Amino acid sequence: MKTDTLIDLLSRQAGPAPRALVARRLSPAALAGLVASALAAITWFGPIPATMFATAVPWTKMVYAGALALAAGWLTARLSRPAAPLQRPQRAVFAVVGVMAMMGGVSLVSEPAGGRVQALLGHSWSSCPWSVLALSLPGLAAALWAVRGLAPTRPLAAGFAAGLMAGSVGAFGYALSCPEASSAFVAVWYSLGIALTGIVGAVLGSRVLRW
Amino acid sequence: MPVDASPGDFESALKPLWLRAQSGDDVAYRQALGLLATRLRGYLKRRLSGLPDEVEDLVQETLLALHLQRGTYDPPLPVSAWVVAIARHKLVDLWRRRGRRDSLHDAIDDVDEQLLVAEPDDGGAHRDLERLFDELPHAQRQAIVLTKLEGLSVAEAAARTGASESAIKVQVHRGLKRLAALVRKDG
Repeated sequence: MKTDTLIDLLSRQAGPAPRALVARRLSPAALAGLVASALAAITWFGPIPATMFATAVPWTKMVYAGALALAAGWLTARLSRPAAPLQRPQRAVFAVVGVMAMMGGVSLVSEPAGGRVQALLGHSWSSCPWSVLALSLPGLAAALWAVRGLAPTRPLAAGFAAGLMAGSVGAFGYALSCPEASSAFVAVWYSLGIALTGIVGAVLGSRVLRW
Repeated sequence: MPVDASPGDFESALKPLWLRAQSGDDVAYRQALGLLATRLRGYLKRRLSGLPDEVEDLVQETLLALHLQRGTYDPPLPVSAWVVAIARHKLVDLWRRRGRRDSLHDAIDDVDEQLLVAEPDDGGAHRDLERLFDELPHAQRQAIVLTKLEGLSVAEAAARTGASESAIKVQVHRGLKRLAALVRKDG
């Protein structure tokens, strides 16, 4: 086929370009991941006692995870469109993680010296990142599928960003069943779980995000 | 419109056309794709000097990708930056695929009989997209042939096939997407 024929074919009755395509694909993926991780957390690990919702403990985690999901979702959206600038969403991701790290640091310093290790490790430090990763997997699959239908020209980076978004969504669900009370715990082990999901996303992304 | 003018001139000629195309002006879209095809040919020729046969195939593959992904264009961006990012992606993808296939050929085929019966270059692309159309599922091929080749309106095509108008549009889009996937597999 001649290129001119192809151009005729593509343009004939092409109509308007789809609007808000990136948001329309990414939002349902994030929402599906959120529902999956919340349901799985409550079914497998059981919910935290309802009285805990009167304290700041679950809310800190959910605000952190929610804010990071938004920032990482923004970054994923940019990486799904060719040549889109990345600086601002990257700064947003660093800012969210930075604020949480500062809050964790402050909470650790205000802890009596003897209790700091306990506050940092809690009783579930060794399982928390893996639980976050496991709860994030449905969201990661959905996010990669969504990005695959868009135009990621940097598959590794797009996979990493999609992994951060899915990891944050998974951490949001995990907050519903995690009784750890220290901000330092959240800053370290939640972030590690989210980063692990990002790495899995990057590895998968470099293979799967081909178009 | 001079196609070898400076990048800024090219962008200022392209952008108004492209924005009209994005909002549904098919004539502007046709013109914009024509300008882009010429630009892409030059861009890819310089980078595929060892593989001149691949140039027009890759121009077509990139145009198909631009069309399928036009929803990812964001108006504040220069159109040419968006196009070049996609063209570069397609170029890297081609090198990656060829690298893999060529090493397979070295190992398996000392003499490739296909090469001897290859058809001469007709000045267009090497790969025949029309042949790939035959591999599309019936409903997708039919929707594309009726609306895109025979020039029926979507309503007429819907009446002819008994499908709804939105179903026709979906089949056209899916068919072109499938075609892009076939093109990649085809090498």
